[in-house]
Amino acid sequence: MEYYAGVDIGSTMTKVVIMSDRIEASLIGPTGPEHRKLANRVMEEALGQARLSFDDLTYIVATGYGRINVPFADRQITEITCHAKGLQSLLPSVKTVIDIGGQDTKGIKILNGKVMNFVMNDKCAAGTGRFLEIIADSLGVPLNKIGEVSLAAEKIASISSTCTVFAEQEMISRLAAGEPIANLIAGIHDAVATRIASLVKKLNVEPDIAVTGGGAKNIGLVKALGSKFGRELLVPPEPLITGALGAALMGRDIYEKYAAEGQKPSRSRKKLEEATFFK
Amino acid sequence: MAEEKKGRAVATSTAASIPKFVRGNMSATLKAKEEGKKVAAAFIADGQDEIMRAMDIVPAWGESFSGVCAAKRDAEKYLQKAESDNFSRSLCTYATCNIGFDMMREELGGVAPEGAPWGGMARPDMMLGNGQLLCDPRFKWPQATQHYQQDVPVFVTNMYYPPWDPNGDHHEVEAIYVKYAADELRETVKFCEKITGKKMDYDRLAKTVELSDKTWDLFIDTYELRKNIPTPMDTGDAMNTMVPLTFNLGTQEAYDFYVSLKAELEQKIADGVGVANPEKFRVIWAAGLPSWFALGDFQYFNGKGVVFPVEVTYRGCEKIERLNLPKTNDPLEHIAWRWVRYWTHWYDAAKKRPGSTPKVERIIEYIEDYKCDGAVFHSAFSCRSWHAGIMQQAATLKKVYKDIPVLIMEGDIVDISSYNEADTHNRIDAFIETLAASKARKG
Repeated sequence: MEYYAGVDIGSTMTKVVIMSDRIEASLIGPTGPEHRKLANRVMEEALGQARLSFDDLTYIVATGYGRINVPFADRQITEITCHAKGLQSLLPSVKTVIDIGGQDTKGIKILNGKVMNFVMNDKCAAGTGRFLEIIADSLGVPLNKIGEVSLAAEKIASISSTCTVFAEQEMISRLAAGEPIANLIAGIHDAVATRIASLVKKLNVEPDIAVTGGGAKNIGLVKALGSKFGRELLVPPEPLITGALGAALMGRDIYEKYAAEGQKPSRSRKKLEEATFFK
Repeated sequence: MAEEKKGRAVATSTAASIPKFVRGNMSATLKAKEEGKKVAAAFIADGQDEIMRAMDIVPAWGESFSGVCAAKRDAEKYLQKAESDNFSRSLCTYATCNIGFDMMREELGGVAPEGAPWGGMARPDMMLGNGQLLCDPRFKWPQATQHYQQDVPVFVTNMYYPPWDPNGDHHEVEAIYVKYAADELRETVKFCEKITGKKMDYDRLAKTVELSDKTWDLFIDTYELRKNIPTPMDTGDAMNTMVPLTFNLGTQEAYDFYVSLKAELEQKIADGVGVANPEKFRVIWAAGLPSWFALGDFQYFNGKGVVFPVEVTYRGCEKIERLNLPKTNDPLEHIAWRWVRYWTHWYDAAKKRPGSTPKVERIIEYIEDYKCDGAVFHSAFSCRSWHAGIMQQAATLKKVYKDIPVLIMEGDIVDISSYNEADTHNRIDAFIETLAASKARKG
């Protein structure tokens, strides 16, 4: 049996998927500053979950912002390509992907699992997971609860600014003026969804549309985004692992392509060691 | 890591002489006083080059100075200086960098501030602005600078060409635009005569214009060698080799430079030497000025087998015969015709393709001629005139031509705070994967 691993080091979370002809293990751990060097530990845990050793892995693909710094990966592929690949296996009808990550948001147009076109947000945090994280913190609502809370909104509060700093100030003053938290969060979701939609609509958007990344776990944001596109958006069962799954699938494709010609792809001849962010 | 082995980018050796050109142009302004010459703060691609050269007026190129500051990553102090007097960062950073420098020089009594790149540029005796469709700061930049150099006379001409109208016939009105442009150039000559106290030598001007025409032809002959597969020269190089055409037009040195460059490219082709080995993908630099502080990004592309055999930017000329210029003995009228036809000679092709525009038609022509697999656009936030329509150009290209991979890069020409290397390289990597997927789809 051949085993393939995908390692997706995002700005906030590190995701690992190990698969054979099915998913053997998937694990999500924080990337954050003190954990950055610990991608190998997430991999170790995933291997434990799959009851495999590191030497059992046939091919490893790293993706995400930290992909270049994973010493044990055999190949690096961008998260754009890996998301497209992962989505194709999970939701084959999808032609447009909106990935809402910790520090960036992407729109990806796909055809048969291949990237046709893509767009990414500029260097502003508005429209990313980090923006929602800061707003949730300033309102005292856990990040994983803001989606549910927003569903109780009686109306969508109008938020004039999508600048993270100014929006946070606006939240606090509106809260002091008595605006219910649910309305405010619904307003924030609406503002973020408007920004994301204007970005993604630069692609010639075709349905089905799926949302991935941490933002896809926010039901309020997904609903707001759906209203911008006039349709229900699809969300894979675990939207955070799409990139890692795609990376593992890309690894399988690479290996099998070589195998079909009676060859083996070159390997990093690696050891499971710390990622080299700080070296 | 099992990274793919990177091919080595190969730059032309002729381009190595470009810093001498740029530095020479800047130091010429500093030497002008002792040589009894007048210095004019001037702007590129505005039809005034030959007038200045024929009258021994030394051009002080503000755009070049700001570009050098950016390339040396030394523009911030000038940007901040301009900002301190309420010039917004969202204004043209070529202008604000240069205005900041001018402000400092005025505070020092006309002496260039210490540490200015390559000694800086001299205080001008005049400023030649040119309001035109190309760039709106050319109206305001000299006027804003005059605020600090109130004794320096400003002359702003207006050079227009017929605006694009898919339902109109620009040929019916172009003579009006040419007459207007020629009249403006005559006024420029009068202004320069007044400042220099010398009369224009029209025979010398005619010879200078003739040399410019020859340089235009030679430039295109040279650049068209890049159609070769593998291409012998990249846009990363072209952002340097444009200097003689852009800043030294009408000089023998500019012509001679392209003689050398052409010979080198012919030799590279004969030797089978390309920019990247192997050359995996060919892409067009479809619009936008580069981030001068990040020219290394071209090598990043090259290192991954992606080459730019052609660019729209700084290809500010065309084979003269393709412009079909009417014969005239008046060199100023010739410049005016050349100016108008340069901008309008894609109009007829654009009309034949419903929904197209001249700018998009030009991109399509280059994609076809240079066999490009994709297009890269650079959107520089502070340059409205050239960059405002980039998204629309990219969308129109895909709509009227074909759905080729497109990368929109974001940054600025001078302001490094707009730039994030990791993010830029991530986008480039994703674009290259998209190129690969696109090529695989086509088989």
